[in-house]
Amino acid sequence: MTTEREVIEKIKVLKQIKPEKNWVFLTKEKILGKELTFFPFLKPVFAGSLFILILFAISFTFLSESSFYLIKKIIKGEKAVFVSEEKESKLELELANKKLEELSKIAKTQNVEKLAPAISQTKESVAKATQNLVKSKKVNKEIVKKVLELENKKKEVEKILGTKITNGEVESPIKFVAQYLIEDLENRSLSEEQRKTLEKAKEYFENGDFTKVIELLLLINNN
Amino acid sequence: MDKLKKEFGKIYDKYIEKIFRFVFLKVDSKEIAEDLTSETFLRTWKIFQNGNSKIKNISAFLYKTAQNLIVDYYREKSKKQIVSPEVFPFIADPRQNLEKKAILNSEIERIKKALSQLNEDYQNAIIWYYLDELPIQEVANLLERTVPATRVLISRAIKALREKLEKV
Repeated sequence: MTTEREVIEKIKVLKQIKPEKNWVFLTKEKILGKELTFFPFLKPVFAGSLFILILFAISFTFLSESSFYLIKKIIKGEKAVFVSEEKESKLELELANKKLEELSKIAKTQNVEKLAPAISQTKESVAKATQNLVKSKKVNKEIVKKVLELENKKKEVEKILGTKITNGEVESPIKFVAQYLIEDLENRSLSEEQRKTLEKAKEYFENGDFTKVIELLLLINNN
Repeated sequence: MDKLKKEFGKIYDKYIEKIFRFVFLKVDSKEIAEDLTSETFLRTWKIFQNGNSKIKNISAFLYKTAQNLIVDYYREKSKKQIVSPEVFPFIADPRQNLEKKAILNSEIERIKKALSQLNEDYQNAIIWYYLDELPIQEVANLLERTVPATRVLISRAIKALREKLEKV
């Protein structure tokens, strides 16, 4: 027979019910917006400089295992100016993949302080990689491989965070590559069997399963 | 606006766990609890930023908003208040080992189930007084009763919960 005191003690066990830290953080961000002004007394020009300094410090200290992450990023950005668009796409995809790997690590540790800047930088990096890809309109096997890698990592991170990494306004890299491959094959002479595979791939495209489209079309390419 | 955001940010930090728990104990899943809790704070923020003079007691306002949303949720979905069989992957303290976690989850599930079988006033009285440890006067205000009547209600609620716990 349980006493009333024991029942009260049991009720206290319910205090263990807590929301996930990531969700708490992201919901607050959604309601109140991304950033609060820490120094409202500063004029915009100073606030801007301060923001850059803070951003630099955050990137330098927290975001990467390497202390020279931001410097490396700047160097990479400058290098990209001198390389071909195709190589630039590949570089940007590699960078986005690295960002996703870092974000995945941060999300798993539920480190809420590092999470917001990491999400923001990853979104930016994925968007930039996509824009480059769309702009260059050049797809090769290496790029397809990087895009598939990116998609898998993106799905993994989105599952952990429970939120989308890509910006709705930006086309996804996997969709672009799937569409590119379909259009490319439509202009080639194909066997009956290859034509059927292409039609099947188009169905998957309509259903939004872009990974499956690429898998099927690579089969045509390899045969 | 920044001052208001900062102020509401503090309110959010103070009450988010309590409101989430309050909602979670009354709905079927973690996802629904997250949606309704998020909506509670969003609605409160909209009123708060348009002049917080309308909100006399923020704690009471949040609980009432959450409660109204829960009612709307069940009305819209015509759902019965059932207990989710899901486990509790979000229970704090990752240092606990799996066996301890499993025992704790099962105990929480049992208490949640017993609690959900009580009437709404009993549930709220128990959550507010024993779980969220609100002062008796505030519980009385939330229940719209006098303090002595609230004490009686809490005592009856505990007896009812004890009986339910023996059955589940």
